[in-house]
Amino acid sequence: MPSQPPPPTPAGDPDEVPGLEAHQAWRAFAYLLSGPLVYGGLGWLLDGWFGTEFLLPVGIVGGMGLSLYLIWFRYGTH
Amino acid sequence: MSIVALATEGSTYEPPGVPDFWQPLIGEGAFAITRASIVIILSVALISWLLLAGTKRMAVVPNRKQAATEVTYGLVRDGVGRDIIGSKEFLRFVPMLFTLFCLIIVNNVFSVVPFIQFPTMSRVAFPAALAVFVFVVYHWIGIRKHGFFGYWKSLVPPGLPVALIPYIFILELITDLFTRPVTLALRLFGNMFAGHLLLVLFIGGGEYMIQHGALGIKIAGIGSLGMGFVMTVFEILVQVLQAYIFTLLTAIYIAGALADEH
Repeated sequence: MPSQPPPPTPAGDPDEVPGLEAHQAWRAFAYLLSGPLVYGGLGWLLDGWFGTEFLLPVGIVGGMGLSLYLIWFRYGTH
Repeated sequence: MSIVALATEGSTYEPPGVPDFWQPLIGEGAFAITRASIVIILSVALISWLLLAGTKRMAVVPNRKQAATEVTYGLVRDGVGRDIIGSKEFLRFVPMLFTLFCLIIVNNVFSVVPFIQFPTMSRVAFPAALAVFVFVVYHWIGIRKHGFFGYWKSLVPPGLPVALIPYIFILELITDLFTRPVTLALRLFGNMFAGHLLLVLFIGGGEYMIQHGALGIKIAGIGSLGMGFVMTVFEILVQVLQAYIFTLLTAIYIAGALADEH
């Protein structure tokens, strides 16, 4: 590899991370998976513990709601 | 009618499945040397040779090998590294991104190279090992930049209602520690596994139909082989794309860990 010239520094905020938008998009996707997974799983465990059957769906829906809220709060409000 | 004709032939067709991907060559059990092990060693040898050949006798006006090496390196360095991580910090991650990209793309494309014909990443341990490596790297640089407690504290966005903080924190924690590395590994694994299965099904099934079927079945078998060819072309696209996406996501995770706010 010949020695490469140093990359030009873009003008503007030096702390700016250009990949941040892509990062947020992929992170939102990960939230949507995590919410139902975590709280659905928690509901499933509690169902097994208490011998009930309704906590798994409550956990999945609640987790999804929490995910959506978090995405809205993080990326939608400011 | 056609199914009956196949059944009365006497031989049965076994559709490809998970067992087809376990191919121990030397030894058996957990420490067997499998076809995937051989393929990945072969890929490392090939990459080393290509890169050494491409960087030997370098000139300002590059020959073909040098040009190909430079284009690939440029794609990862500028297209992934600089565009995603930013011009200030990207350079120290480029060797890692370039290594990941080369290793994955060669192993993926090996899936359609005659005689090799095995996608290493269809054994989940390989993409999992790569994802664990990426996982350690992006948390490590995040902790180094923000401090141990600062890094985890930055997970919770400021201004959140207090009652929700513990629930959101668990959600953020699982996203960071579980969902992102697992999806990174499973995306690569799933694409390679399913793609290879499809190819084996279309080509192996087509071959079987031509050998054992009645006339109508033989014609359908030719159609199946044609579909196998189309899928092979499509798979090459997927293989290159998945190598790129894995590298891109690695860069995105690093960019996120370096950012002040997650």
